[in-house]
Parts: sequence; C-alpha cells; structure tokens
Amino acid sequence: MLSRLIRQILFVLLHLVVSVLVAIQNVYHRFCVKMSNLPKNQTVNNEVMTVLGHVPLITKELKHLVVLVDTDHHTLTDLARVVIWSLVFGISYVSFHDITGKLQKDEENLFVEVEKQKKGIPGCIKWFDKPNLNGYTNGIQANTISVNILSYNDGRPKITKCLQQISQDNTLCIRSSDEFTSQELDRTLKTIYPSIPDPNLVLYSGPLCCAYGLLPWHIRLTEFIQISIDHSINVNNYLGALYKYNKCDLRFGK
Amino acid sequence: MSDWVNENCVSFFQLFCIKVVKTGRVPQHIAFIMDGNRRYAKKLSVKTSDGHSRGFDKLSETLKWCLDLGIPEVTVYAFSIENFKRSDEEVNALMDLARDKFQRLLDAMDQINDWGVRIHVAGRMSLLPLDLRKMVSQAMLATLHNNKLRLNIAYAYTGRDEISRAASHIADGVNYKDITTYDINEELVSQTLDLGPPELLIRTSGEVRLSDFMLWQTANTVLYFSDALWPEFTVWNLLVAIIHFQRYAPPPLPQKDNNGNQDKFLQKLEEKRLQQLKNYIVCSS
Repeated sequence: MLSRLIRQILFVLLHLVVSVLVAIQNVYHRFCVKMSNLPKNQTVNNEVMTVLGHVPLITKELKHLVVLVDTDHHTLTDLARVVIWSLVFGISYVSFHDITGKLQKDEENLFVEVEKQKKGIPGCIKWFDKPNLNGYTNGIQANTISVNILSYNDGRPKITKCLQQISQDNTLCIRSSDEFTSQELDRTLKTIYPSIPDPNLVLYSGPLCCAYGLLPWHIRLTEFIQISIDHSINVNNYLGALYKYNKCDLRFGK
Repeated sequence: MSDWVNENCVSFFQLFCIKVVKTGRVPQHIAFIMDGNRRYAKKLSVKTSDGHSRGFDKLSETLKWCLDLGIPEVTVYAFSIENFKRSDEEVNALMDLARDKFQRLLDAMDQINDWGVRIHVAGRMSLLPLDLRKMVSQAMLATLHNNKLRLNIAYAYTGRDEISRAASHIADGVNYKDITTYDINEELVSQTLDLGPPELLIRTSGEVRLSDFMLWQTANTVLYFSDALWPEFTVWNLLVAIIHFQRYAPPPLPQKDNNGNQDKFLQKLEEKRLQQLKNYIVCSS
C-alpha cells in the first residue's frame, strides 16, 4: 500500500520534471529564434527568393508533399504560403490533411488566400476540383502545382468502399492465387483514387507524430518530418524540414 | 534461461523505474520496427549475420521489459517481403537464424507456457521455406492459449500485402454468403487483418517512415522515432518512449460491436486459419 503511494508520487514528480524540462527547452528555443535576427514578416517575394536560393541544394525527388493541418494552430495564411513556397520549389502536388475537419469547410477562403499571396509570382496553381483560374506565366518558364485537401474519409473508409465493390463484382480485381497480391489490389485501388503520386514527405507540427488516418495505402515509404515543435510555419523551418528530408535514404528493403 | 525472454537483463534500479512508469497509462499494444542491425554490424566491423543475431538478443531483452511493464501485446517487424530482394547469402542467414530460434522455442515450450507468451506469426506464410513454415505453425498452435503476452512477429510481411489478403477473405466471405456487402465496414476490415492496432509504434535507428508496416492499423498510433540502432536500444530508450506516449497519446477509441454475421464470419476465418496451420504441419512432415 505504502509502496504504491510512493510509486504514484514519484510518477507525478517524474512527469512534473519532464514538463519543466520541456518548458525550459521551449523557452530556449524561442530565445534562439529571436536572437537569430531573422527578418520578421517577410514579404512573400523575399521568401520566394530565399526558397529559390536553396532549390539547387535539395536534390532528392519530392513530388508530393502532405502537411498535417491542425486548424487550431495553423492559419490559412500559413497554408497559402506553403503552397507558394512549394510552387516555387517545384513540388508538383501539395495536399493538406485536415485533422480537425474544419479546413474542408474553409476551402473557399483558403483558395482566396492562396490567390492573394500568389500575386506577381509566376506559376500555375491547380485546385483539384476547380477549373484553372490562374494559368498565367508571363512567358517565363514556370512550375505547376496541384493543391488538394484530404481527410480521414479519403483513407480507410475509401478503401473499405473499394472492398465492397470488389466483393460485388468479381471482375474488378482478378487474383492469380487464393489471395490477392498487393500489386493486384493496387491496380483496383488506382481506379478509385485520383491520379496522385504516393506522398514522399509528411510535415507535422507539435510534439506528437501521428498519421491521423492519412491515406494508409499510399504512405508506406513516406517520411514523417517535424516542421516545428511549437506549430509555427515559416520559410526557415519549411526549408529546414526539406533539408532533413534530403538526408533520408530509401533502401527499398535492401 | 531461454533465448526468447531474457530474464537477467533488468537491474533492481531499472525494475524500480519500470514500476514507477507503469503507474500511469501503459500502451496496450506496442509495435517495433527493429532497424539498424546491419549498421551496428558495420560500426563494430563484424559480420552482418552477427548484427542480426545481436538484434534478436535485444528482442529477448525488450520482451522482458514489456512483461515487466505489463504490456499485453508486442508486435515486431522481423522480415519484410521486400527483404527477399537482399543477397541470397543474407536471406539464407536470416532464415537460418529464424530456424534456430524457433527450434529453441519449441525445445523450451514449457518455459514459454509458464510465462504465458503467445506467439503469432503474421505474413504471407506461403513465401516461407517448408521447414520453417512447419516450425512457425507448431509454435503458434502450441502457444495458442497463452494470454499474458502476445508476441506478433511480422515475417514475410508488408502492410499492403496484409490488406490485400484481408480483401480476399472478405470477398470470399461474400461469395460464400457468410456476410453481405453491407456488413463490410472499416471495423470488419480491421478485424480481418493479421494484426490489431498498436497504441505506440517505435522505430529505431533514426529512420522516419513506416516502410510498409501496419499501414492500416497506425491511423491513430503514436509514432515514435528513436535514434538508437536496434542492438543499442536500452530500457531507458523504451521508458522515454512510454513517457512520451503518456504525455501526448490520444484517448483510446471506443470499440464498436459486430453484428451476428460479422462475428460468424470472423470466427469462421479464425478456424480456417488454424486449419491452415495444421495443414502446414502435416504437409511438410
């Protein structure tokens, strides 16, 4: 009885100490950011120049970037800027995985915000379910980016629906033995998913790394990289995450 | 002492710390991607197979820590279908390691039963060599009723392959009229898979991807990436991961009840799987 009480007290103390240490680390982190004298409230044009400077140094292929969006912490401006940086960087697909379910309702506003931020920057932004409004490139060679909002329902529920269809119609997915192989099912799943490549990189913010049901079939080789511990999104921690990604080495089982 | 659970790897102080940490919420299912054996071997300039063997020793220590922590289910990623692409020499060495360890397990079955460890091997069994498949089936059947710690070993496994196999079972279920299309929902798919959802997934050696492991099950799992190479993973690394889990884990999701059809289908599937294991034993003897 007594020893149990002591254990509980020690447990509470342990978590208290950890909380204090984490708090100190956060304060130190904020202090470092302040001291680094980074220009605050940079204009989008300056940020674009910064990104362009780093493009040649990050060589690993990055076709599809997913950001885990927590609308309680991320503003539409943050997300719009991610679109602009990614456009300039040359990423072809950027998806926002809506954790709280509020971003999908705010899609129109995100669209407006992206348009606002894009002014004067060459390139074409395709909204996955809207016609291309902003295809102007001024004759300069420019990138194209597709923007997509994903949610939990695009993951397990969608695969489940596909399994229902397969069970109704045997010709949808043909098996060569008793059990489907992953290649056989992959062919059928490709028909229900729009043609987006598997995500190469997932950016998450905050201390918890979790997939939140993001496209289970597609994330087998996806790297999970933290953009910031305090949920902030700026051009510096965005580039920092891309550098970390650049270091990741895929071995394909070998 | 058995190979599979290393009893002598916890000092008095470590046990005390384990007891303090387990006062709080402990994950009910923990999964490991045991990465870094080859890098460890390279670092120490020893043979790759020695690195893998050291990795197995670490698994036996980890199982002891998990038993002490009161974690009822542990899943480890031992061999991926993609790993068959490695050199013949390395694949054969890994198969030999598995043969050796399963033989020892079968020899020390009394002790495994004393600890109450249930062994479950998840993966495409048809890809395993016949003799290994037989040993694996024997181990699974002999430990079927143990309930203190369930050890799932993902062998010849990938997450996509697991989902594909579940898809075939579900399609068969509809064909045989055990279930209807309307009975197919997310929960049924989850239960048709080989492995249940882990609450915490730990990957060692600093890699930050799932590598086709438990893709479906990790929807709400806390993913924890540790920089230590697997053979260098310590009880302290594990305790830090569990403290991290205690701080940030989302609350467990409530389980939904199955309907009669679904229950019957799952029961039939379980019986079919057991029968398959018995067939494997008979076929190769």
